[in-house]
Amino acid sequence: MTSPLLASDPAAAASAAAPLLRVDDLHLTAGARELVHGVSFGLAPGEAIGLVGESGSGKTLTCRAILGVPPPGVTVSGGTIRLAGEDVAAYTRRQWDRVRGPRIAAVFQDPASYLNPSLTVGRQLTEVLRVKNGLHRRVARARAVELLASMGLHRPEHVHDQYPYELSGGMLQRVLIAIAVSGDPDLLVADEATTALDVTVQAEVLDLIATLRAERQLSLLLVSHDLAVVAQLCDRVVVLRHGRVVESGPTRQVLDEPADPYTRALVADHREYGLDRLATR
Amino acid sequence: MTAALEADGVEVWLGRRAKSRILDGVGLTARSGEIVGLIGETGSGKTTLARAIVGLAPLHAGTVRVDGTPVSGLRGAELRRFRRTGRVQYVFQDPLRSLDPDVTVLDSVAEGPAIRGDGRAADRRARAVAALEQVGLDPALGDRLPGRLSGGQRQRVTIARALAVDPRVLLLDEPVSALDAANRNHVLRVLDRLRREREVAIVMISHDLGSLAGIADRIVVLYRGRVVEEGPAARVLLEPEDPYTQRLIASVPSIDGPRPTYARSTR
Amino acid sequence: MRALRSAVRLRAAKIALAVLGVVVVLMVAGEWLAPYDPLHQDTTAILAGPSAEHWLGTDYVGRDVLSRLLAGSRLSVIAAAEAVGLGLLLGVLPGLASVYFGPVFEWLSLRVMDGLMALPFIIFAIAVAALLGNGLHQAMFAVGVLMAPSFYRVTRAAAIGLRQAQYVEAATLFGATRWRVVRTHVWQKVLPTVVVTTATAMAGALLVVSSLTFLGIGVQPPAPTWGGMLASDLGYLTQRPFGPVAPALLIIVTVAALNALADAIRDATGDGAPASSVPAPQEVLDDVPAARV
Repeated sequence: MTSPLLASDPAAAASAAAPLLRVDDLHLTAGARELVHGVSFGLAPGEAIGLVGESGSGKTLTCRAILGVPPPGVTVSGGTIRLAGEDVAAYTRRQWDRVRGPRIAAVFQDPASYLNPSLTVGRQLTEVLRVKNGLHRRVARARAVELLASMGLHRPEHVHDQYPYELSGGMLQRVLIAIAVSGDPDLLVADEATTALDVTVQAEVLDLIATLRAERQLSLLLVSHDLAVVAQLCDRVVVLRHGRVVESGPTRQVLDEPADPYTRALVADHREYGLDRLATR
Repeated sequence: MTAALEADGVEVWLGRRAKSRILDGVGLTARSGEIVGLIGETGSGKTTLARAIVGLAPLHAGTVRVDGTPVSGLRGAELRRFRRTGRVQYVFQDPLRSLDPDVTVLDSVAEGPAIRGDGRAADRRARAVAALEQVGLDPALGDRLPGRLSGGQRQRVTIARALAVDPRVLLLDEPVSALDAANRNHVLRVLDRLRREREVAIVMISHDLGSLAGIADRIVVLYRGRVVEEGPAARVLLEPEDPYTQRLIASVPSIDGPRPTYARSTR
Repeated sequence: MRALRSAVRLRAAKIALAVLGVVVVLMVAGEWLAPYDPLHQDTTAILAGPSAEHWLGTDYVGRDVLSRLLAGSRLSVIAAAEAVGLGLLLGVLPGLASVYFGPVFEWLSLRVMDGLMALPFIIFAIAVAALLGNGLHQAMFAVGVLMAPSFYRVTRAAAIGLRQAQYVEAATLFGATRWRVVRTHVWQKVLPTVVVTTATAMAGALLVVSSLTFLGIGVQPPAPTWGGMLASDLGYLTQRPFGPVAPALLIIVTVAALNALADAIRDATGDGAPASSVPAPQEVLDDVPAARV
């Protein structure tokens, strides 16, 4: 849980030594309308940050910009996004291809839409391994099965030969995570990755991400509307509202003693209903 | 006292074969003014149960009674006549798909009264405005098309549409799972008020145990087409007896910090 | 680039509408606009070229070509409209009914439509005209019946996707009759497709009317029609080589305008998705799927 940025504010974080990801005064614009107005935060190697906010807060937009895939019509109109020191805001497609995989990878809410329905999941994972890691066909297959096994999937050889429609949402998300970590990235971006899952499956996937972080020194940028999910995994929280950072800091500090009125309302809303209240009712 | 909704021995088969059953002898009751939480994972049959109760899925065995009267045998014009009473209402899971994209919010909410033939058009509009206000929506939104509303607003419109016909029984399919905390609280408060002020019997399907903890009187746990546990909400959530319920409850994330890592089971 | 393309499309629709507007004016007011009686034979000027008196010249018995074109437009367009109207009636209603009124009707109507689709337009029209008498109405009745399957198919295809729509289920749960469901939820989603098909069918019907009257089916000789004029002018090609140009051009331009209009409507409505189903801007930005990273 210790991190060089744990107790620092955003300004101090900026000066911290060699952050893995450094977003500075990021502005995003769609046409004439500015949607994100100067968002800044940093992520140290091995750290996990939660980006929270209600729909329309700009958290997903910010996340897409960091991944180099802003929605059509949205452009970075100011600020910088530095990944391991390099400004990626002006990256070309080819430059992105180089960093996706070994540097940064992502998983999203709807895993099925990121897989080709007419190819087995193993084939799709193997393809990534061969293209990105230059593995030989046979080696890639062995590596793919190994990866699927380390995702906690039972009978990985069997899963390897199955088509996406044969797998449940939770299994598909594990396959997507396998593809994401196959290039051994430094940073994993998870955008509402467990939102559509059943609560038991969500718990399993969160556990999986926690395990991967520990085993692979993976940094994590977790985007979620659910504060409880963020509380499971993140060292620090950045709260967004209407395209601005309203508060950021260590998770426990932000969730237990929120300083900003908006964060306070967010936490109070979350706590109004919940299993914890039952015991005290 | 008879329950407002009483479903007994409900069976729904996959196709025409009794071998593969989506629901296998499920019972569900809800009294007036009671909120019953129906929980279970994807594929447990909870949506099918609600659809079978309202007659959208074929009932291969079992009965459904509303205020003591069997309704599961109704067909054709009789069924239409019963449906027009509006006594049982079902709120679909996905508000975007359950609202006609080309019909304004107000017309959608006024649809039940219109089909029933209540009063004149102006009365029905007034009824729809009242229903919108009941769920805390600005009636000025009534002229909009569903595509121009936020997810939380749309969810409330579908609830208002059900309320416009004064239901005795309200079945809601995951009414809060897609909403952020503020919108979720709003919807839950609306449901709580309906139960207290209008004595509506409410069945709320949800995988969000936290929401149910705050509002449900009883909880029914469905697992692979069967009821595995049933009881008062506090008892089921605090002292679950069935292993599946235990696993379910242990999986709920808490804002207060990481869960003790749950034994990783994979499937 | 996209703006440019949609502007061109918009202009195509405008031009098409303008052309069709002129055709409608010709149809309604053609007889009054005509400078001469279309049946009057001026024996002093047979097969005359264009002149100040006869702008488009005269035909083989000295009738004014311009007057005949103007007068003939009514008969040609009305005949085509008759056929399309009958096709609409016999296609759209069964098309909707096949989706919402039970499997028996569905099966029967599908078989009937399959049967009709196997029949060729012009030969069937000739046969019907032979059977019911050689009149334009009889011929158009035949054409209309044969047009029904295309209306049936597009209506059915558009409606069948809505059979399981949740808002249709919601209306059913309120006790709505199937007729009400079709009227309030299905009809307006099927309408754009039907309009596009109508425009295309109208173009087709005009060609069929012209072909039939060219062959002498449906119209008795003195009455002017576009197709009939084309036929008679072709007989005097050596004396008056430019003769068929005017009627042919009129047929081509009208048909092209109808097809252009159909294309424009289809482009504007997209793949059957009504514009209103587009979510609010902020949502669009929050929900876009990104490329796999």
